[in-house]
Amino acid sequence: MKTVETEVGAILAGTISAITQRSIFNRLGGLAARPLQQLTTQDRLAIMAELESSVRLFARRNSAELIASCARVLGAAGEPAAGGDGADQGASEKRLAIDQEKDIATARLEAWSEAVRIGLSKFTSVKVATAVSELARNIVFYAGKGVVELRSLRDDRGPSLQIVASDKGPGIEPRKLEEIWAGTYKSQRGMGKGLVAVKKLVDDFHLDTGPGRGTTVTCLFRGER
Amino acid sequence: MDWPERGAVPQGPDSAFPAGEDRVKDESLPIIQIRNCLLVSIQTELHDRLALGLQESLMERVRSADAKGVILDVSAVEVIDSYITRILNDIGKSVRFMGAECYIVGIRPAVAMTLIEMGVELDSVHTALNLDLALEKLELLQS
Repeated sequence: MKTVETEVGAILAGTISAITQRSIFNRLGGLAARPLQQLTTQDRLAIMAELESSVRLFARRNSAELIASCARVLGAAGEPAAGGDGADQGASEKRLAIDQEKDIATARLEAWSEAVRIGLSKFTSVKVATAVSELARNIVFYAGKGVVELRSLRDDRGPSLQIVASDKGPGIEPRKLEEIWAGTYKSQRGMGKGLVAVKKLVDDFHLDTGPGRGTTVTCLFRGER
Repeated sequence: MDWPERGAVPQGPDSAFPAGEDRVKDESLPIIQIRNCLLVSIQTELHDRLALGLQESLMERVRSADAKGVILDVSAVEVIDSYITRILNDIGKSVRFMGAECYIVGIRPAVAMTLIEMGVELDSVHTALNLDLALEKLELLQS
């Protein structure tokens, strides 16, 4: 029988030692032995919350991939049983506060697992993580703090992920913005390439900025057509 | 000439290669010396301070160890954005100023494709598929 422990264990095998896995499953309590078909949405959220922190802690490599694989196994198995519970279809939203350098790493990890979870390809997921990395870095460097929101959508064209990075920082002056798009701008840190890079990566890009207005970047990644 | 161990990158304090004083500093990446090459395996987030520290200690070590090459292993790095690219280019440039060559090894396929799409260049460093090939190329340089 496929239980949380057998299926998640199969994913973690080879990366996380059996002893460590044991302690992770112990922390899940009764949920570990539960068959996948019997999981409720709430169960899945509780399991993923626990797995996300433990896997990140114990897996030296590929933790985002592992977490995403776990989410897939748990989510895919639970969906048909959940029936009328629409929480997993439609849209879902994640809000990540960015106010120090280490939040950049957290944000791109979150973005990656979210991208993989909603079914974007491995390559697109790396692009998502890279774009979020650029945007979060801009927030930390230029505004000090801000927010990155991840909104996943699913329509008949497939999954897509919207990223909104906003801050109440100094904003970008129109003249500077022209230089940025022309590729001639060089900031003190020698950057100024982040926004250009993001624009090239995404399927849809919108920038709202100006002195005193802060900066909001809205962009969209679509699944493969 | 064949190398004692092919493929595997020695990591961390258990490494057979002494990392020396570089490990003592609280937040710094261990620099491993193999013959006259310096090897750094990047396993963590390369933030500002860490990157600058790495650049500095690499240059020191290039001088004291008379190193001909520096190899940065990024196979564990899942995302390389324009900022990290700049750091790698900077390290490449400074190493080149010292007369050594810098190799980046283990860039993942998805990372490489993302860098191409973003239009950023890794032009101040050499690249190699893996550590083995980088060592081979460096050996050719030395003869």
